[in-house]
Amino acid sequence: MIGSKGSLNADHCEKEKVVFKKITLEKLGDLVSALKEKGPLYAPVRDGKAVNFQKITKTADVTLDFYNTVFSPKFVFFPQTEDLIRYTLQKEGAQAEPVPIAASPSVILGVRPCDAKSFEIMDRHFLGAGIIDPYWKNRRDNTVVIGYAFDPAAPPDPADFYNTVGIHAADTEGSDVFMVRKDGELLLKGITKKGESLLKGLAVLDAASAQDEAFFDETIRKDRGVKTRFTEITDTAIAAKLVGSFEKQEIWEEMTASCIGCGTCTFVCPTCYCFDINDETLFRKGARKRFWDACMFTDFTLEASGHNPRPRIFQRYRQKVCHKYSYHVTKYGCISCVGCGRCTRSCPVNIDIFSIVEKVANL
Amino acid sequence: MTNIKQIEENLKREAKRLLESKEVSVVLAYARGYDEHHPLPYAARTAGEVGNLIFNEYCTYNLARYLTKYPPKTKIAIAVKAADSRAVVQLIQEEKVKKEDLVILGIPFIGMKDPKTGEEIDQKTTCHMANPVLYDILLGEEIRDAGAGSPYDVLAELEAMDQAARWSFWEKEFSKCIRCFACRKACPMCYCDPCFMDASRPRWADKSPTADGNLMYHLTRFYHLAGRCIDCGECSRACPMDIPLHLFHKKMAKECETMFGQAAGMKIDDKPVMVNYGNQDSDEMLK
Ligand code: SF4
Ligand code: SF4
Ligand code: SF4
Ligand code: SF4
Repeated sequence: MIGSKGSLNADHCEKEKVVFKKITLEKLGDLVSALKEKGPLYAPVRDGKAVNFQKITKTADVTLDFYNTVFSPKFVFFPQTEDLIRYTLQKEGAQAEPVPIAASPSVILGVRPCDAKSFEIMDRHFLGAGIIDPYWKNRRDNTVVIGYAFDPAAPPDPADFYNTVGIHAADTEGSDVFMVRKDGELLLKGITKKGESLLKGLAVLDAASAQDEAFFDETIRKDRGVKTRFTEITDTAIAAKLVGSFEKQEIWEEMTASCIGCGTCTFVCPTCYCFDINDETLFRKGARKRFWDACMFTDFTLEASGHNPRPRIFQRYRQKVCHKYSYHVTKYGCISCVGCGRCTRSCPVNIDIFSIVEKVANL
Repeated sequence: MTNIKQIEENLKREAKRLLESKEVSVVLAYARGYDEHHPLPYAARTAGEVGNLIFNEYCTYNLARYLTKYPPKTKIAIAVKAADSRAVVQLIQEEKVKKEDLVILGIPFIGMKDPKTGEEIDQKTTCHMANPVLYDILLGEEIRDAGAGSPYDVLAELEAMDQAARWSFWEKEFSKCIRCFACRKACPMCYCDPCFMDASRPRWADKSPTADGNLMYHLTRFYHLAGRCIDCGECSRACPMDIPLHLFHKKMAKECETMFGQAAGMKIDDKPVMVNYGNQDSDEMLK
């Protein structure tokens, strides 16, 4: 562990120092400006009723007064739409250029622990499945994630259930720097090498005291007191339960009866990664694009013959849950849901994935 | 106005009676969701399931959306608030459902609240009527004083803009659209299968959410709903990007009402304005 005393490892014979800093909230703007100088900065911005991550152009737009964003920050690594190749059609053939992958180092500020964890889950798919997705990899490698603890004194949103999937309100996992709020101050601790070097290069930050450090550690300990909805599940047991429930059509029909089959739940989700690739041409100029797709859409599985293996909504919703809680466990060794509650909060008819998983777990 | 708990009781009583007597095979109403503030649309099929039914001020969802999913001749009881009842009437006019297959359970109520924001849904976001326009059984007392104001008052700001400002207002709003399609899926009048947006030959709009394609989607949808939108506001409430779709629909509804003297879904014997021709119809739209 970084900072642990008395390491006998030859590589670490020099005692490593924890990089631990702070800044007053009044100077948040200075921190934002300093981060912006390092490259594109993504941070929470209030727009009307909602707070969402945006690429920051105006320092003053950034807010840290939010519970969680409507959309997950996954778009920083996996934008909703992106051009892969641009082309011009010619009399014969086409002139085509691949779009270079943008590689500027960037920072995401204010990522909640469940979302920070989601990046690691997505890594298994985009980096660990035998084919490395260069777009995802490039942005992941170049991005520093600044995590942000949920307030341990505030009750969690009723839709959240991150405890169920083993995540707590101040988990540092998945973050490069972790941020805790202490009255009028922000405490920032380096978690990874990438995070430490970012912190070291930020002159706007002050050194934190031993007291601050104690507060930081205390916050992390206290996070067990933030209790989201919880049901006892293990990866493999729920995976097996779901496989067993697959044929029980009436149960699935009943649980998903009100689902209207839109794509909202998958678009807001930090761990939904399905995409489609299409050529879009206008007046002979065009681009091969990739963009988010969703298993909840009718045409997701529509075949060229006209046959659709999942014509009904209950089948599509069952696929969604089975993918996250069963197939992903079998294929990648973990559940691909972080219990952030976004799908439930944004669902136009209040379908709640937690209730469905809980029900299946107790079948 | 009848107490909301009483409405719930009446709903349960009627649902139980209708299912027990086999007058209907399903009752479309609401059940508890993951908490009280987030009810679920719910289809009760047995008298035993009636115990799950609830009604509270968060039961905003327009259940007419589900009517077209049932095979023809299914006997259905449906709980409707004022705007929802207009959707049922409009669906009857469009011959999507038959009155004789329905038992309409009317709910007279003012003060529904958006489950996402807790804000009261008023004439700004819905049609500002208190009593269902058509029902077989009324689950509460008719409301005599629904308060002043027109559902179109909210358009004042938009109508005061010049054309360029209005265009840029909508351009900006539509550029936010992520094409999750919650708006069309939540809409009781969007029952086309397949929707023009899902067609691949020809493809009417880019599949990725581009500004041009978004405009294509929304303008087409708005026109497909001309004279049919019953102003329930479900589209706006469903939208995760908070795009005020209801404003455009209201504007269309207002124009239709002015030109053809008929609002959508008010009377069962009306014909939808876009499929009917009358000598007195306005020529405004041809100019
Ligand atoms: S499925 Fe729902 S709760 Fe799970 S990660 Fe996705 S949005 Fe969050
Ligand atoms: S669960 Fe909700 S958000 Fe997801 S497709 Fe169904 S209705 Fe839409
Ligand atoms: S609900 Fe909103 S974001 Fe989704 S398709 Fe409709 S307008 Fe676009
Ligand atoms: S367009 Fe919107 S307001 Fe009109 S009927 Fe459809 S959902 Fe309701």
